[in-house]
Amino acid sequence: MVDLDASALTTTELNRKLRELAAQGTEHIRILNPQARHNIAVGLLDSCSITIEGSVGYYAASLMDGPEVTINGNAGWALGENLMKGKVVLSRNAGASLGSSMRGGEVFVGGNAGARAGIGMKGGTLVVGGDAGFMTGFMMQRGTIIIGGDVGEGVGDSMYEGAIYVGGEIGSLGSDAKIEEASESELIQVWETMERYGIHDRKRYTKIVSAKKLYHFDSLERLEKRAV
Amino acid sequence: MVLGSSHIWATHHIEDIHAKAELGRYRIRGFSTFQKVTHFDDLVFLSTGLTRFPLEGYKEKCNTQVVLGARYASEPLVLDTPIYITGMSYGALSRNAKVALGKAASLVGTATCTGDGGMLQDERDASNKLIYQVLPSRYGFDPHHLIGANAAEIVVGQGAKPGTGGLLMGVKVADNIAEMRELPLGIDQRSPTRHPDWLGPDDLSIKIEQIREATEGRLPISVKLGACRVADDVKLAAKAGADTIVIDSMVAGTGASAEILLDHSGIPTVPAIVQAREALRELGLYGQVSLVASGGIRNGADVAKALALGADAVAIGIAALIALNCNKEIPGSNFEEEIGVKAGYCNRCHTGLCPVGIATQDPALEARLDPDEGAERVANFLNSMTMELALLTRSLGKGDVRSLEPEDMAALTIEASAMAQIPLAGTNKVFGT
Repeated sequence: MVDLDASALTTTELNRKLRELAAQGTEHIRILNPQARHNIAVGLLDSCSITIEGSVGYYAASLMDGPEVTINGNAGWALGENLMKGKVVLSRNAGASLGSSMRGGEVFVGGNAGARAGIGMKGGTLVVGGDAGFMTGFMMQRGTIIIGGDVGEGVGDSMYEGAIYVGGEIGSLGSDAKIEEASESELIQVWETMERYGIHDRKRYTKIVSAKKLYHFDSLERLEKRAV
Repeated sequence: MVLGSSHIWATHHIEDIHAKAELGRYRIRGFSTFQKVTHFDDLVFLSTGLTRFPLEGYKEKCNTQVVLGARYASEPLVLDTPIYITGMSYGALSRNAKVALGKAASLVGTATCTGDGGMLQDERDASNKLIYQVLPSRYGFDPHHLIGANAAEIVVGQGAKPGTGGLLMGVKVADNIAEMRELPLGIDQRSPTRHPDWLGPDDLSIKIEQIREATEGRLPISVKLGACRVADDVKLAAKAGADTIVIDSMVAGTGASAEILLDHSGIPTVPAIVQAREALRELGLYGQVSLVASGGIRNGADVAKALALGADAVAIGIAALIALNCNKEIPGSNFEEEIGVKAGYCNRCHTGLCPVGIATQDPALEARLDPDEGAERVANFLNSMTMELALLTRSLGKGDVRSLEPEDMAALTIEASAMAQIPLAGTNKVFGT
């Protein structure tokens, strides 16, 4: 294991060092004193394991393809943004736009998440142990979102595909979102996912999917009809 | 009053109401605005006489190379001509069109740009210099593609439809397009307009920093704005850390937009450049932050005038597609039969029925565009424009396109004088000051 003291490095130096160590095959890297800085562990494309001891700012563990990052603290906006593959685990609370546009991998938040968790999500699994804010899953395209607690207004607004599972209260459904009965096998998958993170409450989750009424314009002009 | 003689109730307004009365929604089309606006034609150059000496118009050396994004990037974009191909998506355009544009740009030493739909590997392979767009939709966004690009462009707005996102009708969301964008097959795709991970200019500065971190500071990062509140937007983008700012005006093109946005949003290219230039000057960043203008660039004179007003380069879309044969009857095509209008009048890119294989995902139509032949035509056109630009520059007594300045021009109309902030021809008066 290699320790990096972030307080002695600029963010650019820190990210460069992470890239170098991952490319060299270093299995585990620990970052100390992150000082809630933005853009820590950005653009890492080689597999490695990173633990960050403390809170981070915006875009932590974003634009990644492969690494597993554990953060013992809180995170600002866009944690795990555009994750391709790998895992991000946050022990406490996340800001807005958690896992935005993620395309694969898994993001877990032990505490609560702010607004727009899973916005524009294109794949992978996003798990929040606590509550999530308004517009969760806004325009999500694929993937799975699991919220252990309550979720705010407008959940699943304009979502295309994928599913959102909510363990607590739902503030309101967004445009074109609907509630669908979760199957037993789906619930088992949700429970097992939560259990991997130490959440053993096998409650009934509410499943939210797209009603698919916004997939197409209601009417077409003559030439547009010809095209279809 | 005779029906049709009214300017208010002109025949196209009557037809529009009839269509909407059947349709029940806004109408969609491609191409560009139909509004008559002040444009580069309203400006002329004041070539040399006794006050200054011309360069030999056809022979003397004239530099056309420009460098974009040198403010912070360690590898700024070096273009042999100040004209590059703007972002147009694979989806809106066919694969053959994207490849042809990439090859053409490479042939003349300039860049091309991805568009809303991710990077097509064939386009990357064809393009020596590729600008990778970061759009609100993030369709197919891949950090590997970003890191392998030559520049990044964060799209805040598009001149043809500022304040809204992309649009791709279901007929064009074919198998490969749906898969690249991770969308259901055949949906009428209406892209997001807000970025998923940032909202205001303070966030944007962190986003720019993120891209810089991911690319180790190599790539120039531009911010593309639809030309609306240009002065304020440019200041905010510059303060957020942009290396380059792209101003896309209301006359810029699109493959599909709500018609109401095309004709009623944004400002023309001429005042947009002037406002952007003055905003950067106010911040003391003019010359440090590169400025790119797009919208209605048709020939070398338009390029020269954009540069003289203060742009460092221009980006073209429609003009490059026309060079690819857009709106031209070719062997195998029949515009009236296939798309309902004569060649030269087509703006129906959104239908996917493009008779010349550019704005389509239909394999039979796409086959009408040979990417190598298309690349040659576009490269010829880019070379023609560059030669026209150099010719005009030499006629002004200058050996470098970067030396063009507002003082080289006069305005033909009071409106152009006010918008361009240069004197009306035959007077010393700048209107609007």
